[in-house]
Amino acid sequence: MTTTIRAGLLACAAGVLTASAAGAETITIATVNNGDMIRMQKLTDDFTAKNPGIELEWVTLEENVLRQRVTQDIATNGGQFDVMTIGTYEVPIWAGQDWLVPLNDMPEGYDADDILPAIAGGLTTDGTLYAAPFYGESSMVMYRKDLMEAAGMEMPEAPTWDEIRAAAEAMTDEDAGIYGICLRGKAGWGENMAFLTAMSNSYGARWFDEEWNAQFDSPEWEATLTDYLELMNNYGPPGASSNGFNENLALFQQGKCGMWIDATVAASFVTNPADSTVADQVGFALAPDKGLGKRGNWLWAWNLAIPAGSEKVDAAKAFVAWATSKEYTALVAENEGWANVPPGTRTSLYENQDYLDAAPFAQMTLESINAADPQNPTVDPVPYVGVQFVAIPEFQGIGTAVGQQFSAALAGQITAQQALENAQKLTTREMERSGY
Amino acid sequence: MARKVTTQRMALNTVLAWAIGLLIFFPILWTILTSFKTEAQAIADPPIFLGFNWTLENYVEVQERSNYFRHFWNSVVISLGSTLLGLVIAVPAAWAMAFVPGKRTKDVLMWMLSTKMLPPVGVLVPIYLMFKSLGLLDTQLGLVIVLTLINLPIIIWMLYTYFREIPGEILEAARMDGATLKGEVVHVLLPMAVPGMASTVLLNIILAWNEAFWTLNLTAAKAAPLTAFIASYSSPEGLFYAKLSAASTMAIAPILIMGWFSQKQLVRGLTFGAVK
Amino acid sequence: MATQHSRAAARLMISPAVLLLLGWMLIPLGMTIYFSLLRYNLLMPGNNPYVGWENYKYFLTDPAFSAAIFNTLALVGGVLLITVVGGILLGLLLDQPMWGQGIVRILVIAPFFVMPTVSALVWKNMFMNPVNGLFAYLAQFLGLEPFDFLAQAPLMSIIGIVSWQWLPFATLILLTAMQSLDREQLEAAEMDGAGPFNRFFYIVLPHLARAVTVVVLIQTIFLLSVFAEILVTTNGGPGNASTNLTYLVYAESLLRFDVGTGSAGGVVAIVLANIVAIFLMRMIGKNLEA
Repeated sequence: MTTTIRAGLLACAAGVLTASAAGAETITIATVNNGDMIRMQKLTDDFTAKNPGIELEWVTLEENVLRQRVTQDIATNGGQFDVMTIGTYEVPIWAGQDWLVPLNDMPEGYDADDILPAIAGGLTTDGTLYAAPFYGESSMVMYRKDLMEAAGMEMPEAPTWDEIRAAAEAMTDEDAGIYGICLRGKAGWGENMAFLTAMSNSYGARWFDEEWNAQFDSPEWEATLTDYLELMNNYGPPGASSNGFNENLALFQQGKCGMWIDATVAASFVTNPADSTVADQVGFALAPDKGLGKRGNWLWAWNLAIPAGSEKVDAAKAFVAWATSKEYTALVAENEGWANVPPGTRTSLYENQDYLDAAPFAQMTLESINAADPQNPTVDPVPYVGVQFVAIPEFQGIGTAVGQQFSAALAGQITAQQALENAQKLTTREMERSGY
Repeated sequence: MARKVTTQRMALNTVLAWAIGLLIFFPILWTILTSFKTEAQAIADPPIFLGFNWTLENYVEVQERSNYFRHFWNSVVISLGSTLLGLVIAVPAAWAMAFVPGKRTKDVLMWMLSTKMLPPVGVLVPIYLMFKSLGLLDTQLGLVIVLTLINLPIIIWMLYTYFREIPGEILEAARMDGATLKGEVVHVLLPMAVPGMASTVLLNIILAWNEAFWTLNLTAAKAAPLTAFIASYSSPEGLFYAKLSAASTMAIAPILIMGWFSQKQLVRGLTFGAVK
Repeated sequence: MATQHSRAAARLMISPAVLLLLGWMLIPLGMTIYFSLLRYNLLMPGNNPYVGWENYKYFLTDPAFSAAIFNTLALVGGVLLITVVGGILLGLLLDQPMWGQGIVRILVIAPFFVMPTVSALVWKNMFMNPVNGLFAYLAQFLGLEPFDFLAQAPLMSIIGIVSWQWLPFATLILLTAMQSLDREQLEAAEMDGAGPFNRFFYIVLPHLARAVTVVVLIQTIFLLSVFAEILVTTNGGPGNASTNLTYLVYAESLLRFDVGTGSAGGVVAIVLANIVAIFLMRMIGKNLEA
């Protein structure tokens, strides 16, 4: 008993000591546990060597938890983080609230003009850059060349949804544990709704008409959801309603998927022989369309931003500049090879022959990114900005709630019709409440 | 006491109990085993039970990504600190309730327990704002305070039930002998209460160690305990079962080992007054 | 025996605990009630106007609300049923003489030490995953179709995971209670010709009543606010199939960042929890008397 108490007291005393011993300037970085960020964390030493006097603290969290933590912190001005990893959706909204430190005065040689215009556009408000892109992505089809060949088929460079369906059917071999197509099913505005919204764009569906009326009762949405469910129920893996990006990545790497339509950034992971059992068999194609002039590809970037509440803006800026610089790209290339550098942010990367040689997916990625149009995401005009999201603060809540409904439909708990009705009802309810 | 039991009966009991025990323990065992596999072996079909090449690479990888020892240290400080602080507040309260019971004692006790029913998510934003203005965000002190408060009702209740079992006559007798109040507590009460206190301490360390809502939401980097450490592995990154297992093993091993070593003390006192 | 003097001393000794808990309850509760009357969204800072009961109306008419109530009760009830019945059976078994009893007890107690996040992660990925989980392999081995636990039976799966965590607790308390049973009484009954079932129902079970009450009370307190297990495994879905009240409040206040509605939900949850508490305390108060 007494030893426990003594140990406890010692522990408390030591805790107080360690808390007060921090001398050097320490910045706290909140980031997502995606592969590229974990790599960045491992390269910390390079930054601290170049910036003596700045220590880095990492808070690496799963995407949903991270989003909740940073939003809560920035909105209450909690000041726990000096650098936050945030998405294209948050940047304009947060910048509009004056929550972010402008990044116009990046250090010399940063070359902000080199950032891909499609990506930079989403991060700039009134001519001011509020976040620096760490990696950018669109979405595309990744498929197994060997399975397509075995099925006697060929994937067109720009497939239609019908061709995707045929390919999925041909590649499915459940006895061998191979599922023709893997798509996101896990509920969340950044998970299944990112995919479904992008898909619905190619079907000519939209979230809202120009008067902000929800459109889930439209035939376009019905066609989107029905086709999605049919694809997944017939040719998808079991448990699809809890698969998000990371789960599908794992399945594809294990060789369980014939096709996977998802973020272009996954290309370097599925072609990396260290992690992927099918690395040399992956082909790429543009996201599918339905002949309506829009493809089902999205536009997204994970960015580093500095909250206005940070007391260490200079140190934070030095870090943001380091992590999103050309030098960082070169550093990753040196350590991990060109194919593994964070893609989709800089024009110069796509003019670099070393990269183009090492990354068979480079051209497709660039093309997909450039093809996405956040101002005119779908066939008909819309009152909002954003390809796979609607850039209004209410969208996170609505998107996730609608995602739950579609996920339930995928799990077979409700029909597509019920899911759409529920989605329409709840979206209308939320929008009315918000005064639209 | 001694009952005659046939060897057959004994063997049957043994087999059955061991089978069920192993079944209950299996998920933990499987996690520990998987943590020593390579990622490919971790998902091998059919699953490999023991015949794999044992490797430590997952532990190395996890340690490379997160500073395990700091999280571990935070967990230790927070769970011990909150338990001790809780004890300091709870012992007098439980003592008073047990030996000087009033008409309302039971109501007070039940009210205390009912404060534990507040759903933490409902009050997170107010607490976050309060912690921010008090400078307690991401500090060990802040977590010690919160965990003390949420576990206090349980500590008080447990201690109350132990103290109540100490016959009042003994105290009376001690008093007659001219013992002072302090002496009464030190020489009479404490020795009788030690098993119960030990059990209370252990249970609270376990509860505090495993508390995952406040510890995750009120910390960033400096004070983050092992519950926050595990949160960075909670979605797959490609093949990740082996890494997840390694991180899980690292997060639960200290408390599991402590629990096993002290299980006699824990079990002896874990009655909540259920046994007379 | 209780003099005026000792009463005053007792009051003094209780007061720190009471004051602290009162503060811990009232301050956040006060702030929550205040927020629940405002339109207050973290993502839309502004003057947060007073809106009266709007947030409550909105929360109570949420289609997910009734599902959440049902799921909360099913979760608490299901886990209680499994752990109490399982705990009694396991307790009876462990109470028998056997070889290696200490080790078996160590094995059985282990899940209680595992943090909820870890146990949810392990169950979700390594056991229930329909492609790579052990259950899927087992099903394939037996020639069955792998069952997708978290999509087809989300609430049952969560009840299973939570029961695994709490079974040791119930078993330990019930086992200790059984060991305190007077052996002579049992032997006397045996000599009178009472069979094992009669002995169990007429002697053992009544003796356990108090222990069962304690298990129910303590577990209910923790089970009402089960959260980590849901967040990690199903995120409350698919649809609302595994959303409990705690998770619904979380979704409002931390996924939509609607602090106003979230606070209203928090107040509703507190009221409901207290109804359960009063109900429980009445029931248990009787059993704990004397």
